[in-house]
Amino acid sequence: MKRNPKTIYYIIIATAVAGFGGWTVFTQDWSAIFRADRINALVLISLFSAAVLLYTRWARQGKPLFLRKIPGLDAVEEAVGRATEMGRPVLFIPGIDELDQIETIAGVSILGRVARITAQYDTPLTVPVRYPLVLAASQEVVEQAYIEMGKRDAYDKDTVRYVAGEQFAFTATVNGYMMRERPATNIYMGAFFAESLLLAETGNAAGSIQIAGTARPEQLPFFIAACDYTLMGEELYAASAYLSHEPIMTGGLKGQDFIKILIAACIILGVLLVILGRGDTFISLFDAV
Amino acid sequence: MRTTAPVAIAFLSGIAMVLAFFFNEETTFVGRLSNELLNWLIIIGGFTLLLGVVSITRVNLAAVKRRKEGWGYKVLTLLAILAMSLPSVLSSSWSSLFGRSDGSIYDWLFINLQMPMMATMFATLAFYIASAAYRAFRARSSEATILLITATLVMLWRVPMGEAFLNLFPGDIPGLLNTYIMNGANLAVQRGIIIGAALGASAMSLRIILGIERTYMGKG
Amino acid sequence: MSFWDQMQQMDRRWIYLMVGIAVIIPFIVPAKFPVSVTPEVQTFFDAVEALPDSSAVMLVFDYYPSTMAETTPMAVVGARHLFRKDCRIITLSNIPLGGPSLAEAVTREVAAEYGKVYGVDYVNLGYKYGYVSVLKGMGLSIESIFPTDNSGTPLSELPIMDSVKNYEDIAFVFEVADNATADYWISIVNAGYSVPMGVGATAVMAPKFYAFVGAGQIVGLLGGMKGAAEYEILLGQPDAAFRGMDIQSLVHLLIIGLVVLGNVGYFMGRQHKRGLKL
Repeated sequence: MKRNPKTIYYIIIATAVAGFGGWTVFTQDWSAIFRADRINALVLISLFSAAVLLYTRWARQGKPLFLRKIPGLDAVEEAVGRATEMGRPVLFIPGIDELDQIETIAGVSILGRVARITAQYDTPLTVPVRYPLVLAASQEVVEQAYIEMGKRDAYDKDTVRYVAGEQFAFTATVNGYMMRERPATNIYMGAFFAESLLLAETGNAAGSIQIAGTARPEQLPFFIAACDYTLMGEELYAASAYLSHEPIMTGGLKGQDFIKILIAACIILGVLLVILGRGDTFISLFDAV
Repeated sequence: MRTTAPVAIAFLSGIAMVLAFFFNEETTFVGRLSNELLNWLIIIGGFTLLLGVVSITRVNLAAVKRRKEGWGYKVLTLLAILAMSLPSVLSSSWSSLFGRSDGSIYDWLFINLQMPMMATMFATLAFYIASAAYRAFRARSSEATILLITATLVMLWRVPMGEAFLNLFPGDIPGLLNTYIMNGANLAVQRGIIIGAALGASAMSLRIILGIERTYMGKG
Repeated sequence: MSFWDQMQQMDRRWIYLMVGIAVIIPFIVPAKFPVSVTPEVQTFFDAVEALPDSSAVMLVFDYYPSTMAETTPMAVVGARHLFRKDCRIITLSNIPLGGPSLAEAVTREVAAEYGKVYGVDYVNLGYKYGYVSVLKGMGLSIESIFPTDNSGTPLSELPIMDSVKNYEDIAFVFEVADNATADYWISIVNAGYSVPMGVGATAVMAPKFYAFVGAGQIVGLLGGMKGAAEYEILLGQPDAAFRGMDIQSLVHLLIIGLVVLGNVGYFMGRQHKRGLKL
């Protein structure tokens, strides 16, 4: 198998980091350097990384990896198709948090996938954002999607617009847009707070089909009550991989599932040991770092 | 280069932050580097605020110049930006109306306009929750029925009037709700969602650090 | 369309009107039902009560003005309890929009009740961007993150900060939040530096924090306005939260009534349709 030339950069950098770390470790007092009380976290991270990398490698080698159906994501293409038929736009909100939040990154990743579909069907897309960095990232993602679908001329710079920096000013603007333009499809993917029900209920009143996804447990009930499909918790992070259909992305999901099974097994084992009165040592392995 | 440089930066900074967790923050280079990176984040964050102001001013000015539909509201937006920002950045030593302390224009506008407007928007949630509950909470299945009954009991328990009603029945219903619903079923489910979401976030972070996930850059 | 179907399609404006009336009635006819205390609030109160007098405590205003009705009563009752114990209060906020102003307003008002002096008994550090950086940075040195207080006075000139350098000098964190910053306080400050903390959160967020209470990561939880009312009862000073319980009671009963009505309409509509088919 031909080695990727970029891999050499990673090897050089990793060697430099390891060398520097090693120099730090062997020239200074070990106990003052390393946080031995966090060994349990190191073991978990190592297992986690190994699982993700292993499954990704298997996926690259063509091994089939099963992913269960996520109805909300299967409905995305159908929902965009509905918007095309009705001649109305698709509204996509990549959350209302900053770009340094992983939920927003997940939302922007899904935006890229959705933008490809809207570019393919020539469906108008509107993406209101709350933060400038999210504006920059979203514009890049949407433009790239249109270019990849060969629809560069169809890309409108105003597709992604900075609306307001304040939560409820943003919500009021988007609600006003929903009631005036009546988008056929609303997709909410990312971090949402108190405005989740305001957005979803207004979208419902406007007659839009709504697909939502957030990792905030407190907002899930509102989306479930007011939206047609809801992605819960980690389904949001899996969405980008699920929509891409790329084996390399699903490999990461399988690695994550392996660790979940491991954690569940540890919980069951811990409960049994505590019931038998022998849980102290086992529990001490998981002491808070 | 346009792809490699951001991926390399993501890799290096991600690895540095992960490694720093296991090294002493004060005595090791990696520990101090992670704190330095966090300080840089604070500085960069300040500049992004400027980016937002520039963006919203540019978009609204363009709409006003072209007399787009609703351009009057764009003028109000621009006036609001100027009214809040200009007096607050001027020195309070010139006038007590400047700056952000008590009695300044910024303070007055914030307390008398912005705060009531924010509270009003949040208050509309009460109406929306009522209409969503009326429309969506149907006992269509056995699970939905269990959910409805539990929700009704918890809603009663969380208000004094409802709790007084529940106390009319034999047994400590509020205590049972707290123990078995809030600290039982709710706690277990919340833990499951939190752990699942945290693992999902960790996997996504790992994919970003290793350059497998690049969709946030518009690539792949 | 049958009567039952029409009932299910009721214009939402009627519902809004009912909610509006339910909010206004308690202003005219207050009921003042007794408020019982839940174990989570009791343990929170006991933890603060057990603090040595004159301890340095962080009272964190991590909420937007939009949720003031729920969260400000928590901050007020927290400040009252801490001042009553002669604790030194260090306030700060990770919310740029209004956090420092709210902290200023609340602490100034409560300090006047107890004769406390700014700079000696309490200080407002204000806001800094990047809450992860801020929380981690304060573990090393609070002054490195907040070199001055909210009004620009260097911390070195404030007597309260003479003996408070980082988390090791903080006895307790009283966090009042309406967003995810509370999660970061728990995962960074409590987990990383073992600082005891209690959280006051909006009612929507409160169910999530039961997991942290169960794990012992937070000592107690104030859930929404009810939690604040319970704390006010424990402190012996019923105030805004207690008065708000009447309104909350009536609106909750209204929503339960609407849910029941909606389900009656749903089932009767189904029966009606079955009858028509026969």
